[in-house]
Amino acid sequence: MRRLFMEPIGIFILAMVCQLYSCAQNVSDSVEQMSYASVAGEEYLEGDKIETNLNNKVFFDFDKSSLDASDKSLLEQYLPFIRKAKIVRLEGHCDERGTREYNLALGERRALEVRDFLIVKGISGKKIRVVSFGEEKPLKRASTEQAWSENRRVEISLY
Amino acid sequence: MRGLIFLILVSSNNIFSILEIEILKGSDNLSKIAFIPFGIEKNIDEKYGDQVSSLIEKNMVLFGEFENLNKNEMLSFPSTEEDFYYRDWKIMGVDYSVIGRINSVNALGNLNISYSLFNINRRIKILDGEIVGNENNIEGIAKIISNRIYEKITGLRGIFDTKLAYVVNSNSKTYQICVSDIDGQNEKILFSSPSPIMSPDWSPDRKKIAYVSFENGFAEIFIQDLISGERESINALGMTNSAPVWSPDGKSLALVVSFSGNPDIFSYSLNTKRLNRLTNHYGIDTEPSWSPDSKKMIFTSDRSGSPQLYEINVQSKRKKRLTKDGSYNARGKYFPDGKSIFFVHGNNGNFQIATKKLSGRFISTLTSTSLDESPTISPNGNIIIYATKKDENGYLAGLTLNGKSRFALPLKNGSVREPAWSPLLK
Amino acid sequence: MMNRVLTSFNTFALILLFLSFVFSVFSIKTLKVNNTQSMKVNFFELSEITETQKRLPRAKPIEKIKEAGLIKTKEINQLEASLDVEKYKISKPDIKKELSKIKLSKERTEILKISSIIQDKISSVWIKPNSLSKMLTAKVLINLAPSGEILNYELVEPSNDRIFDNSVLTAMNKISFLEEIIGIERGIFESNFRNFKLVFKSSGEIE
Repeated sequence: MRRLFMEPIGIFILAMVCQLYSCAQNVSDSVEQMSYASVAGEEYLEGDKIETNLNNKVFFDFDKSSLDASDKSLLEQYLPFIRKAKIVRLEGHCDERGTREYNLALGERRALEVRDFLIVKGISGKKIRVVSFGEEKPLKRASTEQAWSENRRVEISLY
Repeated sequence: MRGLIFLILVSSNNIFSILEIEILKGSDNLSKIAFIPFGIEKNIDEKYGDQVSSLIEKNMVLFGEFENLNKNEMLSFPSTEEDFYYRDWKIMGVDYSVIGRINSVNALGNLNISYSLFNINRRIKILDGEIVGNENNIEGIAKIISNRIYEKITGLRGIFDTKLAYVVNSNSKTYQICVSDIDGQNEKILFSSPSPIMSPDWSPDRKKIAYVSFENGFAEIFIQDLISGERESINALGMTNSAPVWSPDGKSLALVVSFSGNPDIFSYSLNTKRLNRLTNHYGIDTEPSWSPDSKKMIFTSDRSGSPQLYEINVQSKRKKRLTKDGSYNARGKYFPDGKSIFFVHGNNGNFQIATKKLSGRFISTLTSTSLDESPTISPNGNIIIYATKKDENGYLAGLTLNGKSRFALPLKNGSVREPAWSPLLK
Repeated sequence: MMNRVLTSFNTFALILLFLSFVFSVFSIKTLKVNNTQSMKVNFFELSEITETQKRLPRAKPIEKIKEAGLIKTKEINQLEASLDVEKYKISKPDIKKELSKIKLSKERTEILKISSIIQDKISSVWIKPNSLSKMLTAKVLINLAPSGEILNYELVEPSNDRIFDNSVLTAMNKISFLEEIIGIERGIFESNFRNFKLVFKSSGEIE
């Protein structure tokens, strides 16, 4: 009689263990995410903002997220400030062309590109916050090549 | 028996040599409809008769699908079948005539209205109807009558009682998500925010709208109940969740979650709050949309190097690439019959609305402006409305799928974008 | 004895009839004319006609040339030279064959021309419904008088789509006369246009 129960119970326990394991995976995903998610509710007091006299924007080509030499040299100049700052906020943006949700993802990718560069240069990932606004917050609201090139950017803010 | 064979052989001689002329093209003209002011029973205010027929007329010509006969060209004003003479309308080149009668109004303001529709060329009555409704809702009554007439003439479901949701950005300062009637009337603001709002989508029962709001500093999906106004964030286990699209059965949302900065497509169960991963690729996977039979999803992915449309079987997770032409194909959605798709097609720097049959090879572009996006389709599959721009101002434009009509929706105070057509009232 | 003769005669007649039926099938008179094809189909024949006409020596021009003089004589020589004598040995049966070919092609041209005009006329009044993804076909049999009056029409093969069929009947109701028929050669009218079919088609494409 007992034997009969043993098997299904054993399988049940195994299943539970597997569930817990996959939950843990999810949890760990979200732990990793916590460094981003904490953008929410974290207040940036303007007073906390570190001012530099550097241009705080890096620009991109249409539908591209790669950094060119001038972008990289600008970021190099930022490094000393970044090392001293508590939080680095990278805001990714796109021009108005194309679809909005795709641009949301593209903006994020641009910000991540900058983040990866900083990490390679020794900045801790835990300091870096990545946000994308897609095409929703353009700097210039014109439909010209000039305006578009100014809108394809990542904005860097230090706190 | 022999006689029968004889007959067949003789007559078949003729059948096989008869001339057949193919007619493949139709006229570019629109059907002309006469909306005759409804008659009234004694002691009823005349205004009802005029009001109802005017509202029906406004509805039917709204999207440029029909021509209407001017009232001052009408030779008679029948309100019953007995008074109706086809020749009065044939002379004016009318194809269909609508007549009706306000039969009674009771103390509560409830109107009893009857109406008929005639096919002038075939000289037959094709519709008889009766409807009861309150005088406070005379617009609603007219919409129902318009639907019936439209259905009889075109064979398609009428969409005059459906709604449009859209985002308005005024002065670059406030963002609002609004819902209005299909003609722009009765606009209601659902939610207002200093931060951007995106991607509205209707639940199949029309009671809720999901959208993306940046009020907390990043892209987050909210579901708002249209009646109570309650809002709920779905907070799906990670940052940047966006592109919410309701499943046809209303039980799940397809959405994009960006775990570790990699946007992938998930199905989110509204009941269990669990995420079911559908794509797992280092490229950008976004803009999911369900097929009408819930078995597949179309989505945008740049895994090939540039944004293209793919289809995934929700069960088996097998994927298939749908678009090859052009360097940018995104924001795909299915037609209500599931046999074709419509999407944004980038071509030489112009972004236009295009369609493609799932079984076919070629893309047809529907628009010729250059900053077109966010197309949405009427539930009867006949009209597409999309967002476009003119002189830095965003507005909504549309077209009928038989290509005969194009229109623009009235401008608003601010830049309008992201239209979403509501489902039919069930 | 009589019975037998009659029976065998009957059978013989039936066989003859059967053979004529078979032949009529193979000498296909069906001329499917559609919007895009109408004139193109004929191009070959048209050029053939003019070629054949060139090759046949004509009595008239030669007489005129005799009157004119030297320059014209040159033209005859050129004409003769352009005829490859080997290839185009003109004989009586040849002439007859060419003439009948011309006649048939002329007839075809006429039929195509009239059909094309009828096509345009019907298309101008047919308000095609929005059938989106459906491919539909409806056939209407028309009975025409030599005056052009449509005596009768019948939807002999409906598409079974109510709206499509209705649009076809609505279009037919808008037309009572096909004036283009007037003046057409009687023979061509009788064998082609007294009774003919209109085939209304929906392509199923998003236009």
